[in-house]
Amino acid sequence: MDYLTLAIATGRTSKQAMKLLEQAGLNFPDYNNKSRKLVIYDETKTVKLIFVKTADLTTYVEKGAADVGIIGKDTIMEEQPDVYELVDLNFGKCQVVVAGFPTRKIRNGAPITVATKYPLITKAFFDRKGIRVETIKLNGSIELAPLIGLSEVIVDIVETGTTLKENGLVVLDKIVDISARLIVNKASFATKTYQIEQFISKLKAVLE
Amino acid sequence: MYNDYRMNDQNVKDYQKYERTIKTINKRFKTYGYERIKTPMFEQYDLYSQVKSSINKREMIKIIDRTGDVSVLRPDITVPITKQLADNYPELPNDLRYYYVQDVFRQSLLEEGSIEGTQAGVEYFCETSAEADAEVIALACHTLKDLGFSDIKLEIGHASFFHEFIRMIDLDAADVEQLKGLIQAKNIVELGPFLRQFNITEDIIEAIVTIPMLYGNPVEVSERARKIVQTEKMDETLDYLLEVYEILKLYGLENNIVLDLGLINHMGYYSDVIFQGFVEKFGKPVLMGGRYNHLGNEFGADLPAIGFACEVESLLNALTTDTVSPRTPIDIKLLYDEENLKESILIANELRERNYTVLSYPVEKASSNVQNSIYQLLITSKENIFKYRDEQTSFQSLNELLKLLNGAKGAM
Repeated sequence: MDYLTLAIATGRTSKQAMKLLEQAGLNFPDYNNKSRKLVIYDETKTVKLIFVKTADLTTYVEKGAADVGIIGKDTIMEEQPDVYELVDLNFGKCQVVVAGFPTRKIRNGAPITVATKYPLITKAFFDRKGIRVETIKLNGSIELAPLIGLSEVIVDIVETGTTLKENGLVVLDKIVDISARLIVNKASFATKTYQIEQFISKLKAVLE
Repeated sequence: MYNDYRMNDQNVKDYQKYERTIKTINKRFKTYGYERIKTPMFEQYDLYSQVKSSINKREMIKIIDRTGDVSVLRPDITVPITKQLADNYPELPNDLRYYYVQDVFRQSLLEEGSIEGTQAGVEYFCETSAEADAEVIALACHTLKDLGFSDIKLEIGHASFFHEFIRMIDLDAADVEQLKGLIQAKNIVELGPFLRQFNITEDIIEAIVTIPMLYGNPVEVSERARKIVQTEKMDETLDYLLEVYEILKLYGLENNIVLDLGLINHMGYYSDVIFQGFVEKFGKPVLMGGRYNHLGNEFGADLPAIGFACEVESLLNALTTDTVSPRTPIDIKLLYDEENLKESILIANELRERNYTVLSYPVEKASSNVQNSIYQLLITSKENIFKYRDEQTSFQSLNELLKLLNGAKGAM
């Protein structure tokens, strides 16, 4: 039988994802945090694991290069891939928020400049509120933008809020709660139904 | 090392694969009694702004002519075929089976990609019946089998199943779109909380949340679906789908069919059965179809129909095994010296009349072509030589040459 190809994003959630897989009885002998291997297999040779960049993961799954993937809801909302989003994996929990200096009021008027990794989520959120914005796309250290006057506010994910607090910023508005999700390629779901169902039930057994 | 560029010419190889695929599809469509038609490349923009279809108007390639009228490059084929029929018939005169292989043009808003793509599809204008619908689905499956796919799955759903639920709850258009999105993504996690924002009774919410996972073996799925059925129409829909499935079993397609009640109307005009086909190792559907009984109504005619279309480029990409045979050698390479140009042209023409592929070159330019040929001819003032394998024979006349060719063929 063919491998089930699972994509995991390098970065924030990869450790927790690996822990979940281990609890579900899927062990990857080649896995250790220092390994630079990008493709590894589990002991039973049923799952092939690939590590990809967070921003690319939805593309891998949508195009069928991976059958299933584990990825944060924030990335799904931003990339809007045409995939099945089947399970809430209940880890990597955080929020996407609007943050800025405590004095900053968000209201309609002149367009507000927003620095963010998530231009699509930002635009959708402010459009719904009827507030005009100019987004500036950044790839990291978003908190820096208001500090040096690049933007008035930011839209970013917040887990504990420590970084915000240390930089004198506060949450001005919550956009959405997020967590890691299991996404599945639609064609794989049709052609590898049994394998995917088995995989999901293993994960669900851990989650319950 | 010198490489034979011609033997590896990717353009030629790609086209051969394309042509072979189209040929296979054509042949299969014909065996089910479909006849080929074509529609214009330019269509009125108004034709598409008037119809509820899934083709995003912003994706169409628009052209403004001298008078200021806006045309579009054919973005779809089902709509113009239906319009054409509607112009001639207020109602269906008799069953009609059409097929087409044509390019459609759309500029995707999100992805960089080709604007142009070939669609091969059928339109079967007929009243709804389980036999007709099953036959069209069987044809879709049969075509994919012909193309050499081994792992073929056709997901079958029904537009009215979801539609019935929509009728029971009061949502505005934007919310319905969001609900559709959640069901299409089988996002059960967010489906419940989304529905609970509205004033909907809990049993309806529970029922809708079940829809995405009504997926799998048709008999088993329909049994689970019976538990959430709210209206008589839903029961009838399930009966109908099972009837279609029973017929598909007679076609021997039991293992290729899954029921997916979470498959909802991806084209605005589908009214009943909808389906999409997947093959191994390819991430997108390779064909989509459904019954559209009310599209004709948009043009003032009653023209029930069912059809499907394959994206030929997707099929080509999905055909990972390079089934293309190595390039066949040409039949005859003819070399001549300058003085014998006239004679060589005469001979080449006579041979081409007899359907041989002939390439002719002056002797000194022989190296500009490196393709293999089965036979070689040398026409010089001294003598004419026919070469086949390692044997050389001289000949005097065309008749002698033809005899030599026939003889060699016999020996093959």
